[in-house]
Amino acid sequence: MLRFCGWAALRVAAIMLLASFTGAMLMRIAPGFSSDDQELNSGLSAQSIQAIRQAHLSDANIPRFYAQYLASLVRGDLGTSRSLNQPVKDLLRERLPVTLVNLAFALAVGWLLGFSLAVAAQVWNVRILTFLGNALSGTFISTPAAALALIFLLLRWPPAFAAALLLFPKIYRYTQNLLEQSSEMPHVLTARAKGAGPWRVLAWHVAPIALPQLIALLGVSISIGIGVLLPIEVVSDVAGIGQLAWHAAQSRDLPLLVNLTMVVTFVTVCATLISDAAQRGLTRSAA
Amino acid sequence: MKGIRVIAIAVLALTAFTILAARHLAPAGYEQQFRESPQAAPSAHHPLGTDDLGRDRWARLLYGMRVSLTLAPLAALFTTVLAGLVGGIAGYFGGWTERCCKLLIDLFLSVPWLFLLITVRAVLPLNVSPEASVTVTFALLGLLGWAASARVICSGAKDLMKSEFVWMARASGFSGLKLVRLHLLPNLRGALLAQFWISIPVFIIAEANLGALGLGVAEPLPSLGSLLRELQEAVTLRPEPWRLLPLGVLIVVISSFQVLLKKQEVRI
Repeated sequence: MLRFCGWAALRVAAIMLLASFTGAMLMRIAPGFSSDDQELNSGLSAQSIQAIRQAHLSDANIPRFYAQYLASLVRGDLGTSRSLNQPVKDLLRERLPVTLVNLAFALAVGWLLGFSLAVAAQVWNVRILTFLGNALSGTFISTPAAALALIFLLLRWPPAFAAALLLFPKIYRYTQNLLEQSSEMPHVLTARAKGAGPWRVLAWHVAPIALPQLIALLGVSISIGIGVLLPIEVVSDVAGIGQLAWHAAQSRDLPLLVNLTMVVTFVTVCATLISDAAQRGLTRSAA
Repeated sequence: MKGIRVIAIAVLALTAFTILAARHLAPAGYEQQFRESPQAAPSAHHPLGTDDLGRDRWARLLYGMRVSLTLAPLAALFTTVLAGLVGGIAGYFGGWTERCCKLLIDLFLSVPWLFLLITVRAVLPLNVSPEASVTVTFALLGLLGWAASARVICSGAKDLMKSEFVWMARASGFSGLKLVRLHLLPNLRGALLAQFWISIPVFIIAEANLGALGLGVAEPLPSLGSLLRELQEAVTLRPEPWRLLPLGVLIVVISSFQVLLKKQEVRI
């Protein structure tokens, strides 16, 4: 267990470092990196403009910037956003809860809809229910997040609900496939032939097989949820991490982008690792 | 279910015909401006009206479909080749090579794909030519979308390397490219093809997302994504519901793909 935790921590750290370093390198080679809108401000003195240029030049050497960033990260300093002129720590403190609340809502509603519809279709085996599930999931899996966010903006519906509807098809389709595959296993067919009811078959024979993979899906759905929320936040003007990431990329704000990449990577890698560990534990105990 | 599959095939065939015959079906070129009638309502001359610059929406929809539906399979092919290379190398060599490849795969899978795409696309210049922007957009999709497929291919290649016939082939002196060409590739063909088909709708949607955010194909070249940008003028959406048609077309085309891919593994 200790060894697994050690490896997991090492993996999280390596992926976070690699992801944020790659983000920083991409930003560095982007056109317009070394220029700043403020340089056009005629109200600023020559010294101020020189200071702005110097600040950009200090970020130009990415390995040096990264080494300095890591050193200050150890001290708990996440740096200052160049474009918003605010400590990154404060920005994250303001924006992260907004995204996390929206993510939690999207996951809860997406899972409630997807899982319950897949289970209902499996248990009752009613054609109309399967058709409804397939039609709804087919529609939302084919809708771009940004377009759905625009429609929700127009209808004045909560943007988190758009994220939930985009998560729903993945959960519904995967759960449905999983339940279908599990239901065709010989011991499930035997139980059904012996007269066990659909709920009993589901709870005692299908669920134990499907559970580890469903837990893995939970981890993956967190990553999908974050990916879906980003364009929704941009389009709907929600003051969350997505909007901040968009702003950081557009304004070439290196400290902000590196920190955001770290945070997003940390959340997704941890979710995947925890679900992997739970899946492994359940599979082992079932064996 | 069979009926729905037939409808899906018919929709895709009709779409393919429409984009091939775009030149004959469209009343004008996608960039031609009718300056005397900007924002015109649907009429016999302009079946879907004209946009703010007086360009025919029907023509732009046809050419936009052509751009998206031609380049998405190319990007899918590129991503499948990349996934085959990385996944195949990881599965074939195993050990440290596999661990390094898996770390790379994990890296790409850990950062949400769209976040990566938005970041990478946003750092590229916006003043590139339309042809360059369309190439860059779809090349990026291909370049960033290989990780999930590589994991599947890696697992398949690893299983094959442990199979009896591969052991026998190795015992008979087969190794290197010969083993890959005669035993691995033919057996991985199904998985590679599945990944290719699965990637097409994913890339069309990704391009649409980028386009709706203004990071897709540059004007005046249309794509399904860039046509969705018109939705942003939400104030005029209510009196002009035909602006929703590109979204409707996108949903119908992707849904048809999804119906045909239903039996394939659902990528999560």
